[in-house]
Amino acid sequence: MKTTFFKYSIFIFLVGLFNSTGSIAQENDASNYKMMFSFSTIKQTDNSRSLEVRFYGRNKEDRKDNVPVFDAEISFFNILNDEELLLGTAKTNNEGIASIILPKDQSYLTDEDGFINLTARFEGSEAIDEEEKEILVKDLQLELNLTEIDSVKTVSVKAFTINSEGEEELVDEVDINFYVGGMLSKMKIKEEVISDGEFEFEFESELPGDKDQNLTIYALIEDNDDFGNVNQQQTIKWGAPHVHAYGAKNTLWSAAAPIWMYIVLTVLLVGVWANYIYTIVNLFKIKKEGDNMGRRIRT
Amino acid sequence: MDIIKRKKELVKEFSPMLEKTSFIAKAWIIFLIAIILVGLYAFYLQFQKGHVITGMRDNVVWGIYIINFIFFVGLSYSGAFISGILHFFQTPWKNSVSRIVEIMTVLSLIVGPIFILLCIGRLDRLHYLFLYPRIQSPITWDIIAIMTDLFGCFLYLYLTFIPDFAILRDNQDPRTPGWRKKMYTFLASGYKDTPTQHKRLHKIVGIMSTMIIAMAIIAYTVLAWIFSLTLQPGWNSTIFAPYFIIAGLYSGIGVIIIAMFLIRKYFKLDHYIRKVHFVGAGIILLIISLLFGYFTFSEYFAKWFSHKINDINLLDTLFSKYFWEFIFANYIGVLVPIIIIFFKKFRTIKSITFAAVISVLGLWLNRYLIVVPTLETPYLPIQDTRPEFIEYTSTWIEWSLSFAGIAAFILLFILIMKLVPIIPMSGIIDYEREPRIKPRILTQIHK
Repeated sequence: MKTTFFKYSIFIFLVGLFNSTGSIAQENDASNYKMMFSFSTIKQTDNSRSLEVRFYGRNKEDRKDNVPVFDAEISFFNILNDEELLLGTAKTNNEGIASIILPKDQSYLTDEDGFINLTARFEGSEAIDEEEKEILVKDLQLELNLTEIDSVKTVSVKAFTINSEGEEELVDEVDINFYVGGMLSKMKIKEEVISDGEFEFEFESELPGDKDQNLTIYALIEDNDDFGNVNQQQTIKWGAPHVHAYGAKNTLWSAAAPIWMYIVLTVLLVGVWANYIYTIVNLFKIKKEGDNMGRRIRT
Repeated sequence: MDIIKRKKELVKEFSPMLEKTSFIAKAWIIFLIAIILVGLYAFYLQFQKGHVITGMRDNVVWGIYIINFIFFVGLSYSGAFISGILHFFQTPWKNSVSRIVEIMTVLSLIVGPIFILLCIGRLDRLHYLFLYPRIQSPITWDIIAIMTDLFGCFLYLYLTFIPDFAILRDNQDPRTPGWRKKMYTFLASGYKDTPTQHKRLHKIVGIMSTMIIAMAIIAYTVLAWIFSLTLQPGWNSTIFAPYFIIAGLYSGIGVIIIAMFLIRKYFKLDHYIRKVHFVGAGIILLIISLLFGYFTFSEYFAKWFSHKINDINLLDTLFSKYFWEFIFANYIGVLVPIIIIFFKKFRTIKSITFAAVISVLGLWLNRYLIVVPTLETPYLPIQDTRPEFIEYTSTWIEWSLSFAGIAAFILLFILIMKLVPIIPMSGIIDYEREPRIKPRILTQIHK
């Protein structure tokens, strides 16, 4: 009895070793989470404007535990004083993101300084309180031109707003960054300030581009107090010609392995399988001798 | 000595073991089949729903399946190694353990690789491994090594069975079922124990025994390289290959002792499997446990002393989250067998078996600590991922399949013992016909 108890004690102890607190199912009770509601807008390359809300709950005790709020209806408005213009509605997806795209010819209500009030609103539900965020931006027009004059590759931008009378007003002292698109992310090549609505520079890079030598150049105004995020991009065949780098053929990382690997593997396998074959041949000889003996006995 | 008469005596002695199945044995077989069926159901669920029902995730991609794989394959290689040594050096007491070792070798090499298949998320792409092999990859080396070794072990096991198949064929009771007679006739492969056949068989068994020692070392080295050729903290080590070989031998000796104890007790083979065999195996376990302890200490000490950030993170995990597992695997699992076997007065059959059980459990946990904590402490910190994606907890599916593997191993062991005697009759005859003064007949020696 004592021995049995001892045996089972060891078993229970060992099973217990594998139980960890991580195995307890997590409960996603909204009261354990602080609601995070962020709203952003980007003026895109085709002059359309995207409005995006990210809505999620952050665990009050574990900042890494972020749970998206799914299927929440978000309404987007353009507000001027008491007037609310509904721009559109969208429901959050399984990542907690709701977004709409406003066309480039969208008309906005603006205040006397030219600011557009964009507001995102969640009306609230039984479990989650109402949320609202607003953004004030001016509608900036950003033009990106890539030209080659006397073999000099020139990148130029022009930035302006259009006043109530339909006239262009050049902007001043606006930070702008230039990037070149890469395989995984964009690489910054210039960080400058637009003065009197314009800026240009000589593109000296010898970057290779894609297989057709195409490069995508981005001009981005990022998190500007007045204009928010404005993107422009263009693709042009400015990449440096490809020079084929013929890599080593038989390496650890090439398609074909180093020669010595083939030799060692072949020698080892031939050595082992030759012995197996020798053994099997001898086995057949044993069988043959046995069969011959059996025939002799019968005759 | 009248060999023909002696063969008849041995067949008479071992026949009940082959032909009769007790109620307890039947109950065990049903129980084992039930465990396997639960495992098959778990496999069906895993195949249907994918790895999401296991504890494995993007970060901890390997769990207890790979640990079972390493464990079983280690058993096999250690079995091949020990069996080769026993045959190669014609060890006097090999008859008592050689067949246990040979069966363990082959069965663990069948069961082990099944666990690696369970680790594969897309089994439907398994054939890609063969269609598009990459010679530079240790995984490819391992597949080649396992298949070559499996074939060699089967061949070797069959060779060692042939003389017994011939004895059973020639000395059957008239009441023996016809299918059994036909099976022995086929499997004996015309072996009549003539001097030329005897010499030829001994020659090829000798060659194969040498071959499988080398194969065991190469194959387990390759398995160790799957880990040590990566840059992962805890794996990237130059001593991993010999460490794995020693660890494999450690678990192998442990399982052999446990099998010897159970077979001796169940089949009442006290006069074949004697205390001297347990003490001999125990001494080997002692030596291997000392070596295993030495390698384990060297491995962790070098990591601690070099103080590389990722190694220290790993050691912190081992000494916090996995504290008791670490203590059991690397302290209790090593020191308890050493203490029990080192002192002569503790060397009883039961205590040696207990030491073997502790060593096997400790070794399994050691494998767990090599695989899981390393995957839980990656080089790059993981952000915005839930804890259960980083921390591994095995599910019932994995445990069911693990126990099904163990059950399959035991069930196949029982079934093979129904095919041939667990003590090789041909070995006893060879031993007895060798000219010596005394003792002349092994079966007459008692404790």
